[in-house]
Amino acid sequence: MKRPLKNQNIIIGIVCGLLMLTALFAGCTSSPATQPVTPAVSTTAAPATPAPTPLPTPQAVSTTKAPVVIATTSTPAPVYTYSEGNVVAFTAASLKGVSPKLAADFAKMYPGHKVVFNLDGTQALRTQVMNGAYADVFISASNAYTTELTNGGYFVDGTVKPLTSNYVIVILPAKNPANIQSLADLAKPGVKIALGDKSVPVGTATIAAIGNLAKSTYGQNWNTSVMKNIVTYETSEPGVATKVALGEVDAGFVYESTYTASPKGTYTAITIPKVDNYLQTYTIGVMKQSTSKSAASNFENFMLSTIGQQDLKDYGFRPVS
Amino acid sequence: MNPSPVFSEKIQRTITCIGAAVLVASVTLYLAFPVVALFFRTTPELFFSSLSNPDVISALFLSLFTSTISLGVVILVGTPFAYVHCRNDYPGKVIVDTLIDLPLVLPPAVAGLALLVLWGRMGILGQYLSLFGISIAFTTLAVIMAQIFVASPFYLRQAKSLFEQLDPVYEQTARTLGASPLRIFALITLPLTANGLVSGAVMTFGRALGEFGATPMFAGNLPGVTQTMPLAVYVGMEGNFTVGLTISILLVIISFAIMIAVRLLARREASNA
Amino acid sequence: MLDAIIHKKLRDFSLDITIHAGPGEIVVLMGENGAGKSTVLNSISGLVPPDTGSIQLNGSVLFDPGMGVNVPVENRRIGYVFQNSVVFPHFSVRDNIAFGLLAQHKSPVFIKEHVEHWMSATGIEDLADVRAGNLSGGQKQRVALARALATEPALLMLDEPFTALDADNIRLVKELTRTFVTEMQIPCLVVTHRITDSRDIGDRVDVICRGKKEWEGRPDDVPVCACRSEDR
Repeated sequence: MKRPLKNQNIIIGIVCGLLMLTALFAGCTSSPATQPVTPAVSTTAAPATPAPTPLPTPQAVSTTKAPVVIATTSTPAPVYTYSEGNVVAFTAASLKGVSPKLAADFAKMYPGHKVVFNLDGTQALRTQVMNGAYADVFISASNAYTTELTNGGYFVDGTVKPLTSNYVIVILPAKNPANIQSLADLAKPGVKIALGDKSVPVGTATIAAIGNLAKSTYGQNWNTSVMKNIVTYETSEPGVATKVALGEVDAGFVYESTYTASPKGTYTAITIPKVDNYLQTYTIGVMKQSTSKSAASNFENFMLSTIGQQDLKDYGFRPVS
Repeated sequence: MNPSPVFSEKIQRTITCIGAAVLVASVTLYLAFPVVALFFRTTPELFFSSLSNPDVISALFLSLFTSTISLGVVILVGTPFAYVHCRNDYPGKVIVDTLIDLPLVLPPAVAGLALLVLWGRMGILGQYLSLFGISIAFTTLAVIMAQIFVASPFYLRQAKSLFEQLDPVYEQTARTLGASPLRIFALITLPLTANGLVSGAVMTFGRALGEFGATPMFAGNLPGVTQTMPLAVYVGMEGNFTVGLTISILLVIISFAIMIAVRLLARREASNA
Repeated sequence: MLDAIIHKKLRDFSLDITIHAGPGEIVVLMGENGAGKSTVLNSISGLVPPDTGSIQLNGSVLFDPGMGVNVPVENRRIGYVFQNSVVFPHFSVRDNIAFGLLAQHKSPVFIKEHVEHWMSATGIEDLADVRAGNLSGGQKQRVALARALATEPALLMLDEPFTALDADNIRLVKELTRTFVTEMQIPCLVVTHRITDSRDIGDRVDVICRGKKEWEGRPDDVPVCACRSEDR
């Protein structure tokens, strides 16, 4: 006893259409949102940069060894369960290389404490937090996002402090296929350049640096040619490094720390003069939502301490002036 | 007779009905609400005004253009391939069968990396291409290649299934009447499987349109060249939220249109069989 | 004239059979389901080659592994009407009948002439432009018959041509078959499992049981229990 199929499909189509129309125009009656501060959609699965390690749930605190968990992911933030002495640190992706050392030294300085890093582009972390992800500490690579979160009341007052800084540097594949010897060569026709997207902190930093270089040294034509040579705007800083490491682009703009932390011989680098460079200041802050604020503060203290700062320096970050 | 068994039967039936209704409603709402929420998140003014945003326009055109080309290639190459594959037993047929399904289970990012490692200018094959000045990575061609890779199984599996299930008597009759294999394929096999093939094509188009994972890895992200709609959504959500939302809604509308088209075609095929 | 010797191993038994049919002669292949009758037709048509044997039609060898000959199906000039008549449902009646002629690359004038001839010979001229999928069983059968004969085959084979038809159509198809086979003087094989059909249409009957010819002779003499052999 089948219903006539013709009617069934027409009804489905009409219902779907009406649903969409009513929803679209129901927005008319609600207060129009301009740039909503809290997006309803959370980040969807993104292209994974080289194999992200799966994120195990944090284990119970042990006093002897410090289990270290590192994750580089752009998937929606995993939910961390609260446990005393545990610190969940949402951290800009450029700290990926130094994070194991930081975790080890933190556990040494504060026995019984443990840090779990959620490493991702600052823009992705900001979106996650604004959608309700749990974090104790937020390390941001972008002043803009830090301000946004501060204005949104996400930080505990007085805990937002400058942490470290990073300059932009140009890296080339070790073999330097396009034979780039100087920043001027970046404008050569046919050179392939990878950059971070403007939504990624390193992207805005790079654009600023390029602008400065054009103004001071190389001129507008150089600027135009360099921008023409850009073949991809990567959605994360490690993404830029990967494209360079694979040799698929001739040059990429990343943070100095990425270059310093990389194994010898992976890249050749060209420095950008400090006067033209964009100094990215990282901030650290304790989250208001944190349920282990003392542990979070301890972590912040550690990061600002001589040991924490030395770790960062070892991996190519610069101390805050 | 005893009235209570009849009464409790009625209660049972009512409970079953309610349970079924709740089941259907919850599944429907679970699937529909997130999509509907997209529409609620914006206003028609914002939506229509951001339609003129150059990023939106270029992503829309790029996506439609590349998906159409990808679909064309898959149909033109895939249809005869599926036919030859089905009608002949050749050594390694089982392996080819498995390979056809491979892109379905491979994570798209892995597919993208694989394509890059093969066709990139440092790639196993790509390095020879770059000797001739041909470079594929970071071009629109790379987008098309990525889309073809991930979307072709949808069409190939459908075509295979259709050709395998087509009653052999039609082709056999045609053979006894003296028709060449090409004539049989074009005049007998294709018309009799056309409806199903179109369904497969529509699904393939949808998959190519929504491809996101292989594309950024292999083709990169450059507005107007390689920034497809799904990629623009991702970038937009981090940066320009309105743009991301608008493109999401566009994708939903197109996906709905695709789904309804497939259903109508499937019904037509069933009634013709 | 058809001379076929067929040996083929099937799932449950072996098909070992010799079939002979002269010009204008209708040979009825009778037997129970699964006896191998359809396999005989498929072997002769070339769709399912036998393991060994020889098939000759009007003197030319269609199949002979000893001589290394296996003429492809397309070239055997055999008209084969399958069970359930198998018209091309998406073509009109006209296009169905023209199909074989087109495949032979005949001229449009030739095709038009012949198609119209066969449509009127089988009484389906007024259905010429009807989509074949919409026809009744009897009409489809006539289309299939016309289509097979339009290519002027050297042999006509019908597999269970009467099963889906009503009495009137059965009679009609039998008349048409008899007329055409006699006119064109070609041999004809008809597979059926019903004795009444064999009496109406056959010049000779071969009874096949489990792959072997158990009995052959005139239709009137067909023993009722022809397949009474012990199960082996």
